[in-house]
Amino acid sequence: MKLYRWLLRLYPARFREEYAAPLARQFADEYREAQGAGARAILWLRALADLAMSIPAQFARESQQDLKYAARVYRRRLWLTTLAISALALAIGVTTGVFSVVNALLIRSLPFRDPGRLVETGYFIESRQQMYDWRNSSPYLQDVAAYSTAEMNLSRTGAAARVHVAETSSGFFALLGIKPELGRMFRAEEDLPANDGVTVIGYGLWQQMFGGDPRMLGATIQINGTALTVIGVAPPGFDYPAHTALWTPTFFDMPKLGKAGAILCETIGRLRPAATEAQARAIFQAELHREYPDEPLASFPRWTTLQSQLAGPIGQASLVLLGIMAFVLLIACANVAHLLLSRTAERRQEMAIRAALGASRARLTQQLITESVALTLAAAVAGLAVAHWSARLVSSVQPAQISAQQYGVLDGRVLGFAIAVALLTGLLFGILPAWLMSRAQPVVDSVRAQPGAGSGGVGRARVALIAIQAGCTVVLLAGSLTMGRTFLRLLGTDLGLRTRNVATVSVSLLGSRHEGHGREMQYYRRALESLRAVPGVDAVGGVNYLPLGAQNLMLFAVALDSGARQKAVPVSVTPQYFASIGAKLIDGRDFTEADRERSEPVAIVSEEFARHEDAARLIGRMVTTPYLDKPARIVGVVRSVRFAPNWSLAQFYLPAAQHPPGYMTFVAHVHGNPERYLAICRDRIQQVDPQVPVYDAMTLDARLQRALAKPRFYTTAILVFGGFSLLLALIGIYGVASYAISARTHEIGVRIAVGASPTRLRFALLRQTMLPMAVGLAFGVAGASELGRFLEHLISGGVPVDAPTCASAALLLAITAAAAAWTATARVLRIDPMSALRAE
Amino acid sequence: MDRPATYYVKYIHSMPKTAKSQIDAFLPLPPTVFHMLLALGEGERHGYALKREILRRTGGKVNLGSGALYGSINKMLEQGLIAESDERPDPHLDDERRRYYRITTLGRRVAQAEAVRLRELVRLAEHRWGLPESI
Repeated sequence: MKLYRWLLRLYPARFREEYAAPLARQFADEYREAQGAGARAILWLRALADLAMSIPAQFARESQQDLKYAARVYRRRLWLTTLAISALALAIGVTTGVFSVVNALLIRSLPFRDPGRLVETGYFIESRQQMYDWRNSSPYLQDVAAYSTAEMNLSRTGAAARVHVAETSSGFFALLGIKPELGRMFRAEEDLPANDGVTVIGYGLWQQMFGGDPRMLGATIQINGTALTVIGVAPPGFDYPAHTALWTPTFFDMPKLGKAGAILCETIGRLRPAATEAQARAIFQAELHREYPDEPLASFPRWTTLQSQLAGPIGQASLVLLGIMAFVLLIACANVAHLLLSRTAERRQEMAIRAALGASRARLTQQLITESVALTLAAAVAGLAVAHWSARLVSSVQPAQISAQQYGVLDGRVLGFAIAVALLTGLLFGILPAWLMSRAQPVVDSVRAQPGAGSGGVGRARVALIAIQAGCTVVLLAGSLTMGRTFLRLLGTDLGLRTRNVATVSVSLLGSRHEGHGREMQYYRRALESLRAVPGVDAVGGVNYLPLGAQNLMLFAVALDSGARQKAVPVSVTPQYFASIGAKLIDGRDFTEADRERSEPVAIVSEEFARHEDAARLIGRMVTTPYLDKPARIVGVVRSVRFAPNWSLAQFYLPAAQHPPGYMTFVAHVHGNPERYLAICRDRIQQVDPQVPVYDAMTLDARLQRALAKPRFYTTAILVFGGFSLLLALIGIYGVASYAISARTHEIGVRIAVGASPTRLRFALLRQTMLPMAVGLAFGVAGASELGRFLEHLISGGVPVDAPTCASAALLLAITAAAAAWTATARVLRIDPMSALRAE
Repeated sequence: MDRPATYYVKYIHSMPKTAKSQIDAFLPLPPTVFHMLLALGEGERHGYALKREILRRTGGKVNLGSGALYGSINKMLEQGLIAESDERPDPHLDDERRRYYRITTLGRRVAQAEAVRLRELVRLAEHRWGLPESI
């Protein structure tokens, strides 16, 4: 009987109060009438089934009624409700959006066989034999494969296209456990130079270029001019590594497919069943240490799980963003709790009357919780739209490395996260007002009380909320200011060139009939001439490594004849390149058409070299480097040009005629808007030879914007959320201050009546609001310096969160908050002491 | 008595119409509700008596659980099909006070309308196939 009574408590409040007694009595009657253990057992079973059916039904009924009431309540306070819902929607939405990135990169497992046992290392495997030796002798690796990736020209008939190609060892697919959609993958001996004329194409490429034709198997395609036979098609969605469209087994036969720029080699491995990732890393490093005892540990190649390598810096950045969003969410929650608390206070009279009419505490609590959960769920639905949008935004700025890591909101885990966050926040700020309400004053007092008269509990809760809000806001503000400063510094960086009025367009001659034997220069000269003929173009040049184009650069040790050494990037340029891009010659001369293949080797160095030597004395000196066969004479010194705003390297320039590169970016300085020249420049170059792919026609400004896109995105995000949290905090503080006044109207009226000055009262009220804020500020400043350590993950070359920044964030918040509170206290001036006294 | 006569005519005509649509909104009635209304049609009853009466009438086929019973009572009270009469002791059981329910006018009309609806259905079936006395 006791058990049954206890079970009856599971009914929603209203039904329980109405019918718990008759239900219990009826059960007692039936229990008495049931004779024997069997009958009683059946009675129990029936009763349990009945409860299981009717409790949810009653819950649905009552929450429907509560919801209708909640909708009426909220409609009366439309503005506050809209504000609360949008704040929550934004906070929940962006948190969910960022979580979808974390989910895709760090939680969702990779679409490979047993992905948890895959590791990745930058350790370079030089030969096939070395790879097999390593695999066979390794105590921790079951299998090893190597790959490198590059953009290459793909042609079959007619026009060429640029595709992303991965050159792999033959065991690449087997290691990952990838089965072909069609045909077969590489055989073990196919990474030998004699057998490597084969390729596996991606599903997307197969569909787009070959219309999904199964007869493609056995067909021949040209990659950088080398004929390869298609032997298989990869399964749909497989594009590892780095959105690869085509795989060749030529990793150990690098010269086979001519390549542009430096080659980045990666090694992947599968751990033996008994080995853990940590053990394997320890043994790997110990092995390296034995081999290179003098090298510091930091210079060893990295060793990570494949998952964390693929998540890369985005994984870290999204974790930082997730942490920041947790702060924003907390602030939004505190704000909604404010809102509900002041409403609770306003509604105390209503609640008291309902209580007097027979509504129990449980019933009112249930109503309040329903109201807050409804508010959050509405916010969560709106938040999902925000989440979808923010996930798309993040993927446009920081796309995932392979398509299996696509960020999406429509994922069970992400949706679950959103619902959990919504319910948690709803309960969090729903329970507080409900709990305070249930401790409200005796009914009779409340009915008579002024609306808004506060009890101690509500007041203390508000003070705590202010402190929490102030603390979180300071952390975010300090972060925002720091990010803003870092970004401004990036923007203000002198790139050493002028980005305005410059159009750029790239070509690659690899695999074309212009490759080799000095034929490149003939093509480049014709292309430059055709660009020079475009009306409005006043300077044209060419370069193989354009600044602001993200490339893998190679550094070489460069020695001056004096013995001074410097690490620098070799860059091939044409005459007039410096003029076209606006890089200033400090000393000496530019390259000219006279610097030909057979003339004296010459070089122009960037001003970093002048750090060691007097700039004027560099001219005429000789430089030697492993990159050059013969020493070259320095004929000029040029201002340093940065490869990216936060990336500076010394350069030594060589005439393209003496070191013809296989690919080049043409730079044209034009009159007027360079956008208008892009199409014509591309067409002119295409006309030189339609077989040569022309790509990346962009203005230099656009390239700069692209280089700045990532830092700009993170900075904007943090600034927006810093500002947003400041706004929320101000609204909260204003609300608290005005609430404090309305709660104490009577007392203030009496004080004014007995001669207190309103200004003094205002100061007293201000102090009351600012005191808890100061406590929050102190905690916030402490937290902000912690945050600074993580901001590095968002924007490299970041400045630390220093004391002045923290102080100015705290000051900014304190001043604006004081202004808000002061404005709120203006109501004191309007309080008429007589009416306050009359209320007595 | 100086109001125009049309007013009354309009009022008289519209009155049963709204009532009928109001009643129709309840149809078809859930069988348990119909049974409860029928049982209450014979007089006031408290919850447990209602349950036993329905059990008796249906030969044990409709055995309402207490939760379902009071759930229906709660809903019917809100809909105005039944009303609480008062609390008084049950003469048959003991002298504990119990809550009694009675059928309202609306409840009676709704039950009648349901019966008419069922009769129409039965007639239709009879017309189509002819019905044996028992199966």
